[in-house]
Amino acid sequence: MRAIRDALMLGVALALSVGHVRDVGAQDTTFMRALTLEQDGKYREAADAYRSALRGQEVVAALLGLERSYAAMGMTDSILPVLDSLVAIRPREGGIRSVQLRALQMLGRDQALRDAFENWARASPSDPGPYREYTRMLIQAGRVASADSLLRRARTTLGSDRDLAYETAQLRAAAGEWAASSEAWRVALRNMPYLQQAAVYALVRAPEGARADIRRVLAAAPVEPGARRTLAGLEVGWGDPRRGWEALRALPRSDSTVAAWSEFATRSEDAGAWLVARDAWQAVDRVQPTGSIALRASRAALNGGDPASALALAERAAGADSAASARGAVPLMVRALGSLGRPAEAARLAESHGAHLPPALREELARHVAWAWVRAGNLERARSALAAIPGASEGEAAGWMALYDGDLKTARTAMRRSGETTRDAVAALALIMRTKSDTGPRLGEAFLALARGDTIAAATAFADAERELPDAGAILLATAARLHAARADDPRAEPLWRSVAQRYEGTPEAAEADLEWARVLRRRGDVPGAIARLEHLILSYPTSALVPQARRELELARNRIPGTT
Amino acid sequence: MPTSTICPASRWVAATLGALLLVVPSALGAQHVLVPMDDAQTNHLKAYGLMYNALKEGHSGEWLLNYRGGAFILPDLPDLRRRAALEGIRTEPIGGGVLGAIRAEMADANMEPVPLEKAPTIAVYATPGSQPWDDAVTLALEYAGISYDRIWDEEVIRGDLSKYDWLHLHHEDFTGQLNKFHLAYQGAPWFQEQFERNREMARRLGFAHAPALKKGVAEQIRQFVERGGFLFAMCGATETLALAVASHQVDIAGPFADGTPVSEDADARMDWGRAFAFRDARIERSPYVNAMSSIDGHQVNVPGRRQPLGTFTLFSFSAKFDPVPSMLVQNHRGVLADFYGVTTSFMRSTLKPGVTVLAFEEGAPWVKYVHGAYGQGTYTFLGGHDPEDPQHAIGSPPTDLSLFPNSPGYRLILNNVLFPAAKKKPLKT
Repeated sequence: MRAIRDALMLGVALALSVGHVRDVGAQDTTFMRALTLEQDGKYREAADAYRSALRGQEVVAALLGLERSYAAMGMTDSILPVLDSLVAIRPREGGIRSVQLRALQMLGRDQALRDAFENWARASPSDPGPYREYTRMLIQAGRVASADSLLRRARTTLGSDRDLAYETAQLRAAAGEWAASSEAWRVALRNMPYLQQAAVYALVRAPEGARADIRRVLAAAPVEPGARRTLAGLEVGWGDPRRGWEALRALPRSDSTVAAWSEFATRSEDAGAWLVARDAWQAVDRVQPTGSIALRASRAALNGGDPASALALAERAAGADSAASARGAVPLMVRALGSLGRPAEAARLAESHGAHLPPALREELARHVAWAWVRAGNLERARSALAAIPGASEGEAAGWMALYDGDLKTARTAMRRSGETTRDAVAALALIMRTKSDTGPRLGEAFLALARGDTIAAATAFADAERELPDAGAILLATAARLHAARADDPRAEPLWRSVAQRYEGTPEAAEADLEWARVLRRRGDVPGAIARLEHLILSYPTSALVPQARRELELARNRIPGTT
Repeated sequence: MPTSTICPASRWVAATLGALLLVVPSALGAQHVLVPMDDAQTNHLKAYGLMYNALKEGHSGEWLLNYRGGAFILPDLPDLRRRAALEGIRTEPIGGGVLGAIRAEMADANMEPVPLEKAPTIAVYATPGSQPWDDAVTLALEYAGISYDRIWDEEVIRGDLSKYDWLHLHHEDFTGQLNKFHLAYQGAPWFQEQFERNREMARRLGFAHAPALKKGVAEQIRQFVERGGFLFAMCGATETLALAVASHQVDIAGPFADGTPVSEDADARMDWGRAFAFRDARIERSPYVNAMSSIDGHQVNVPGRRQPLGTFTLFSFSAKFDPVPSMLVQNHRGVLADFYGVTTSFMRSTLKPGVTVLAFEEGAPWVKYVHGAYGQGTYTFLGGHDPEDPQHAIGSPPTDLSLFPNSPGYRLILNNVLFPAAKKKPLKT
């Protein structure tokens, strides 16, 4: 019996449901027809159809369509009588009221807009909606003071501005009250986490002096995901991803935290902050360990110059969940071992896995092994490793080997022939093309030291090479100076820049030398000296691409423009 | 379309300049450089500095009104060429033949060469400790490399204005009410510091309170212009200076500034005859409304009254008959984007008859830029705070003029710096 009764009830329910669908379907037809007409650009017909659809249940959707259609025809004022009728019937319907305010704003009818807002506020005295909509309009119109007054009134009327936190946040940011804006964003993000990007966009414009307050507010206890994610986004925007990660790492472990960390890691990779990306990926890996995440962390570590952690992470990936991860780990491990000065281990690893890998990957491993031997200073073994690669004796790799030997003639030929040219190869070729000499042993030593990661030895060798290759003196000294400058070693860089600027006037490096020398002098507090160099650059090399930058730095040195804030 | 008008000061200057032209041009037979000020110029703002410093070093030059955006002529000297190259200013060497052709072209058109003879000495009235970037004029002067002295209440009351030819005021509130910023910034450290500084200065100089001190300062400035000084004011200083001068016998400051309310009959007791530029404005009596009077058309800080920004058009004057206003509007653009300030614009209804309108907004009841004679001197008022930061708000980052080397708005400011160089200055004492 019970089964029969249940079946009957189900039948009744289905019948009711079908009847409802039939009604809604009729209304949907009108609405859908209006949408189609609008999409076809038939705005007049669409407007008629939307007006018909207003009699159905989808009032707000139809009204929005009507608003769009009238706007497209430049007849926004035609919607006003429609709105008056709808407001009379549904005085508390926020969607209708919003369209009304928007229409009046678009038409520039300020008094009517104010009246409409007051009417809505009276009809819905405890609803934050009217205040929210009108405040947003005032902010958009740049009427910050008016918006501020309105929010104050909302606080009094509603007893709290908790529901208007977003508007308060925007308003405070527009007024440059960054701490107050941050407080309001923090409140807003608790209920509306999707506003995080808006918060970053609003606060990232804060001047340097205001950032400490923003950090204090967003990092304050208790740890809140919205606030922390916003702070992390801000730190990336302000050029300090490491601080961004510090803000984010404190989040409690959860799925959403993992998503936030992964997103941040990707952003850090995009920004070239590899070690920050590594830390973020490692954090993800600790919560949700997978081989692919470990591989990304390893790659980030390698790119960031930390081969030790890259090796550890790649080893973990190699023993992880999938064959794909294991396969992806081998090249990273070989590279990491090479960078750590363990070429023999790199070679053994490549050899043990090589047989199972496709030819392209095998060649890649051979190249990594060759570079590992180069880094260890063993060119013979490097050549042996390269010999396993078909065509390697004529390509870029052969060019590098010749260059390390000081055989500039072969290096030039091989590097020019190379089909795929790396950035490093272009830089090397640009240098060796500046001399007519076919040999340069000291220059070879310089490049080899560079490949081994010994920057100081490389810089010294480049500077020494000036004696054997005087026709490339300017670029050799400039290269040495750049290496010292990259290590922020002004005492070593300065005499080299000075030599280029004074002994090699008119060379392509001379303008750069003037600029860099000026920067060193300015850092040292010798402003007159810096000004003299910048003036020399501008007057001596007026067509140099560096002149606009030199002029700007001249203004800064003379304190005629504000410094970077 | 606007038509040209001739202001009395211009007639006097035209006659003086005409006489000068007869004796100066012999020096122009040698090689010269033309500093174009049309779109060919790479750094308009620095060009003013080049001209000013050349004058300061004793060289003479010419301002070719309406020729190539208001170009300059300078002697072709190695040091000037070097400076132009350093600053990125475009110059064009010209020989006597080319210069003759330029003069011939100018003679038959609405153009006029104006000899520039002496760099004016410049004072900027600015709060001690303020950065050059707090004020559009100091920004422009610093960027152009034009030297100036900073002065404040003490120097003005002491009578130091007589040392200068040209005085600039910016957003100072001469009614002593600190632009009524107490409404929004009462708790802000910078506001409290300014409030205390004004109070302390008033006490030190023997005034009862800040409004009284500022009235005293305004009176000194009025006398400076009356005796032949050049006054250039922007932003809130334009409006509040006029109010301070006109209110010498009535209290127009709110209780937060001097402890007493605004006089009931303040409007009736204003002495507009003494004021620069304005008349018959209504005082904003409410301490809760962030406006000073009905002079400003835009009322940027008053909810419900604030007007949107538009564009303003520079008036076209006869260069031959109205050289002074012509100098003040030399530009490579005729229509400029408007920008807000504590005082953004001036209602036409509050302008005195005889005030020369230099720039206006088409169809609006306000104007942007005015000039007039007062005693033996002149004043020029430009509404707004910073031409390259139209929505400027407290806390906004400073404007970096190296990013706006061709700013037409800033050119208006620098026209004012240079125009006194064209005039043989009357004695101010």
